[in-house]
Amino acid sequence: MAIIERPIATPALARAGGITTPVGPKQALGVFRRPVSSNGWRSWFFTVDHKQLGIMYGVVSLTFFVVGGLEALLIRLQLAQPNGKILSADLYNQMFTMHATTMIFLFVMPMAAAFANYLVPLQIGARDVAFPRLNAFGFWCFLAGGVFLNTSWVFGGAAQGGWFMYAPNSSRLFSPGHGVDFWAFGLQVTGIASLTGAINLIVTILNMRAPGMKMMKMPIFTWMVLITQFLLLFAIPVITVALFLLSFQRTFGATFFDVRAGADPLLWQHLFWIFGHPEVYILVLPSFGIVSEVLPVFARKPLFGYPLVVFSGAAIGFVGWGVWAHHMFASGLGPVSVAVFSFSTMAIAIPTGVKIINWLMTLWGGKLRFTTAMLFATGLIFEFTIGGLSGVTHAVAPSDTQQTDTYYIVAHFHYVLFGGAVFGLFAGFYYWWPKAFGTMLNETLGKINFWLMVIGMNLTFGPMHILGLQGQPRRMYRYDTSRVGSGFFNLTFWNLVATIGSFILAVGVLFFIINIFYTYKRRQLAKAPLDPWDARSVEWMTSSPPKAHNFDVIPTITNLDEFFHRKYAADAETGELRPVATAEELMAIQEANADKNIHLPGPSYWPIILAIGLPIIGYGIIFSHILIAIGATVIFFAIFGWSMEPSVPDPSDYDPPSGNDGGGTKELATVG
Amino acid sequence: MADVTLPLADVGHDAHDTHVADHSADHGGAHATSLGLSNNKLGMWLFLGSECLLFGGLISVYMLYRGRLGNGPTPEQVYNVPFTSVSSFVLLMSSLTMVLAVTAAARKDLKALDTWLAVTALLGATFVGGQVFEFTEFYKHGLGFTTSLFGSSFYTLTGFHGVHVTVGIIMLMAVRRMIKKERVPGDKAEVVEIVGLYWHFVDIIWIVIFTLVYLIPA
Amino acid sequence: MTRPASAHRLRRLGTPLAIVAGTVLMAGCAKNETQSIFTPKGDNARKINDLQRFPMVAACVVGVVVFALLGFAVYKFKDRGQPIPGQGHGNSMIEIGTVVVSAVLLGVIAVPTTQTIFKLAKTNDCKTVVNVTGQRWWWEYSYPVQAGIPKPIVTSGELVIPTGQCVLLRVMSRDVIHSYWIPALNGKKDAVPGRVQPLRLEADHPGIYDGQCTEFCGLSHANMKMEAVALDAADFATWVTKQTTDAAPTAAKVDTSMDKAAADGFTTFSQCSRCHQVSGRVDADGNPVIARADQNLVPGAAPNLTHLMSRSTFAGATFDLLTPDCRANLRTASPEAFGALYLKGVTPECLNRDTLEAWLRDPVALKPMMPAATGLGQGMPNLKLSENAIDQLIAYLETLK
Repeated sequence: MAIIERPIATPALARAGGITTPVGPKQALGVFRRPVSSNGWRSWFFTVDHKQLGIMYGVVSLTFFVVGGLEALLIRLQLAQPNGKILSADLYNQMFTMHATTMIFLFVMPMAAAFANYLVPLQIGARDVAFPRLNAFGFWCFLAGGVFLNTSWVFGGAAQGGWFMYAPNSSRLFSPGHGVDFWAFGLQVTGIASLTGAINLIVTILNMRAPGMKMMKMPIFTWMVLITQFLLLFAIPVITVALFLLSFQRTFGATFFDVRAGADPLLWQHLFWIFGHPEVYILVLPSFGIVSEVLPVFARKPLFGYPLVVFSGAAIGFVGWGVWAHHMFASGLGPVSVAVFSFSTMAIAIPTGVKIINWLMTLWGGKLRFTTAMLFATGLIFEFTIGGLSGVTHAVAPSDTQQTDTYYIVAHFHYVLFGGAVFGLFAGFYYWWPKAFGTMLNETLGKINFWLMVIGMNLTFGPMHILGLQGQPRRMYRYDTSRVGSGFFNLTFWNLVATIGSFILAVGVLFFIINIFYTYKRRQLAKAPLDPWDARSVEWMTSSPPKAHNFDVIPTITNLDEFFHRKYAADAETGELRPVATAEELMAIQEANADKNIHLPGPSYWPIILAIGLPIIGYGIIFSHILIAIGATVIFFAIFGWSMEPSVPDPSDYDPPSGNDGGGTKELATVG
Repeated sequence: MADVTLPLADVGHDAHDTHVADHSADHGGAHATSLGLSNNKLGMWLFLGSECLLFGGLISVYMLYRGRLGNGPTPEQVYNVPFTSVSSFVLLMSSLTMVLAVTAAARKDLKALDTWLAVTALLGATFVGGQVFEFTEFYKHGLGFTTSLFGSSFYTLTGFHGVHVTVGIIMLMAVRRMIKKERVPGDKAEVVEIVGLYWHFVDIIWIVIFTLVYLIPA
Repeated sequence: MTRPASAHRLRRLGTPLAIVAGTVLMAGCAKNETQSIFTPKGDNARKINDLQRFPMVAACVVGVVVFALLGFAVYKFKDRGQPIPGQGHGNSMIEIGTVVVSAVLLGVIAVPTTQTIFKLAKTNDCKTVVNVTGQRWWWEYSYPVQAGIPKPIVTSGELVIPTGQCVLLRVMSRDVIHSYWIPALNGKKDAVPGRVQPLRLEADHPGIYDGQCTEFCGLSHANMKMEAVALDAADFATWVTKQTTDAAPTAAKVDTSMDKAAADGFTTFSQCSRCHQVSGRVDADGNPVIARADQNLVPGAAPNLTHLMSRSTFAGATFDLLTPDCRANLRTASPEAFGALYLKGVTPECLNRDTLEAWLRDPVALKPMMPAATGLGQGMPNLKLSENAIDQLIAYLETLK
């Protein structure tokens, strides 16, 4: 439902010639008309609106977060004591594989996509993303891929090779069953979502900024999204190649990782980590963006060293491509490569450290309000610092040969990914909830949520430092009483602590879900004010939730924190900041000058149909070739329908039918 | 992500969805996009950037494995360099005709545009036909997909390229038909140009593949 | 408002202190955890430990500084009604300072790191070479002929090495990627099929050093344990002599000293010898029995059992061959007494008969394996042995000293 202004004159881009008339509905075959529903399930299934898609990304990835969390709890239950009997070896191996896969590909990545989808157009003053239907297609691919992946549980068991799926363990000989096939194809489909999303968001950010919004005046979250999407753009094809090689080997008997045919199994590791390390930054940079938005708002100060935060983000993005082999220090690279990757890994600590200092300095001298969002943001600084510092200790390659594949690493990346990425996302939930839903999440429940999560995560992942340094390897479905030791650092005790911690953490997350329902029930009472946090960036310059077309008037940007500078001005004499306008006043001005001729591209049937074709092919590859034909047919017709679809719905399809197509009326419905 | 058809689909339509956007109404200026490059073209450039990494990965795999022959034939035993040179030349020529198509579109010469698009697609189809012939010949010489690492990586690399050319042909034919039927919204020249970008990219990749795979001995 | 805030402050300061204290303690007084990375028992691991100490302490110090600043900021700049602060955008001195300080700190770490990387990559100063081959889910150790080892030795479960000298492991794999790791002696090295990867080990004193496969290798990865046994030079020589002799009875009918059960076990074992090599066995025609494991299994072998009773573990170091008491005696033996005790092997009263019987009854129940997966064995199948056959087999195995 993106709203596009109908051009009055010939658009500039048509200057090269050609006919500018859009394809009208009359020219289309009846079956290819665009849907028009603006309520009910149809309005969600066929939507192309970035805000609706953002919310859908959020709901689905939150669901997968719960699934991945339950898997984690089972893992922790199994390890609560030596010789755990909750899960069999096979089931445990499936569990940790799917826990990681789910959390990475089906929770953190798409949840970041949810924020990016929802907020980027709002933050840059655009009315939608560049390619709305492609956006919808991306979402449905993510959902299709995620569901496909998880159906492996009922079709003979999930993949059990670890999320890194090292060859040759992933080959048919060593991993019989269909788990790996599900895994490879499922990730391939979610990869389509990431790639289309990356192209879409980069184009949106580069091309659709409001007038006056230079790159260095973009909100920091948008910047971090931009860097993340470039990482995705170049990382996804690499994992695509790796997954194709794996699938070709398993399905058609190719020999890419078959040592007997002379293959080199390290090929997989290189391909996987060339994707996999940028992936880490893909997971964490959006959250860095979120806290970099939240901290200034609640400190009432601009982000300290904005240009440096931008450049350090970009530096992380670049150097992130040159550190992949630090996952392979024990795999037998030569000493020269090891030294080089050791250096580059240390080097990447510098821009990361810069960010932490910048956040700290943002707080320094501020006027800090500890709302739940702020607590999560501050919590991120704390937890991520721990994860970052333990990261430096394994940049030291020889130490890493002791630490790698132990729980010390598990501790490290959970501090980075849970303390970093997930805390950032939670800060984002609390901060932008009123924007997206027009209601305030309950602060008391929020604070319980926060403190339980902080305590839970430190109890869960803190002891894992001890476990790892005491030599407990990862990915073991059981550990022996004979090797747990007996002193203060005995593995049994700290494993039990970690298990207890994981349940506290789970209760913390439960409070978030309770908070959602509680807020929903009290939505009439918990109505959010227009500008609940005294925010700084452009997305708050419109109603909450925003209108379908985002802004009545596209704002012209003159400042980095545009909204703040419209609300406050320095007193001429004292230099002290004084409020000069309220959000309500600014909103009233906007509404009074609202644009005419706003048109929305209609919803579309084809993104969801096209995406559904993909898992059908997946099942076909695994079970029956006839399904491949069916899936391919669906895809063929969907692409055909997609390209033949008129760009606007027929006015007569509306109830009541709208007037003529175009004209001078302001149309805020799903027209155009 | 063998979804190369998707940008095509969007070239067709989101073109209208977005490129007429922007703020001409309230700001008077006719500036189109922040970079002055249309969304569709920028999107295609980004997609091609991503494709570079895809082919980069596949080419690396081939370079690593091309000498690992197992019991299968060597490259010298199966390659027919003169034949492939001819089909490479055909593909290169298609880039030239693609340029002619783009210029025809720019001067709104719909008839010439129609012809050149058809010729480009035909040359592309000739190349793909040559590749199919080549694959069957190789197979007869004992190089199957699973024969050796060389075979697996050769067929994967050139096969992916062949699929890209095929998708390009479909794009050319679709654009040609859509222009004929007046179904292209907005700027026709630009749509042709974007398909052209993709086509040239696929050609350039082939030059790299041809050089590395056929001309430089293992 | 004040109460949660103060609790908040306390936690902010308390947790880092606890972590620092914890780390220091950890480094200082870990004692009983056999795989701790802070208790090097040989030169290579010591190099790593010396190297890791500074970054770890530095990380703690940096952490404390950051947390102190964070805690102070949270306390000091809480909203108490102060005016809106100035909207300054940064301070380039602080920003450049951060970059420079962190770069210098990392530079200080990088130099010794590089030195250690190259020291640990050296291979030409090692005296003894052992081929270490990983497979699902056990390790095989083979000693090629070299100074002091006149005949090749093939064993499993325990890597026996001489003390006080560098032993070079040539780490390999027959199937998937495994990783060889004895934390007290050195860091890990992956066993990658198709590659031979060097790993230096050196133990100061006689004793047992525990390790664990650390690259996920499928179903029973958690059970793929290893032990390195260090013996002083004289004891090592004794061990080598013992290992290079063939197993005592070459054929049951020529060995009249054997008791009935062991002789029957010898016969029953002919089935086992399709996969398990026992050097010295001859068939009816007097030809040596060579286990052709590769005909039955992928990956290619089952543990060599020639001197099973000289080891203290079985089934890939997964289970104890010694009773818990005997095992404890061996593990707590002083370095001086260790060698003699180890070389005694498994005496009848020390044999962990229960576990061994349970293993023969149904191996897969004890250690998850894939004996029949895709038609190719990866692990020992349930052979449906009768109790009688199990007793006979154990009687025979006991003769494999």
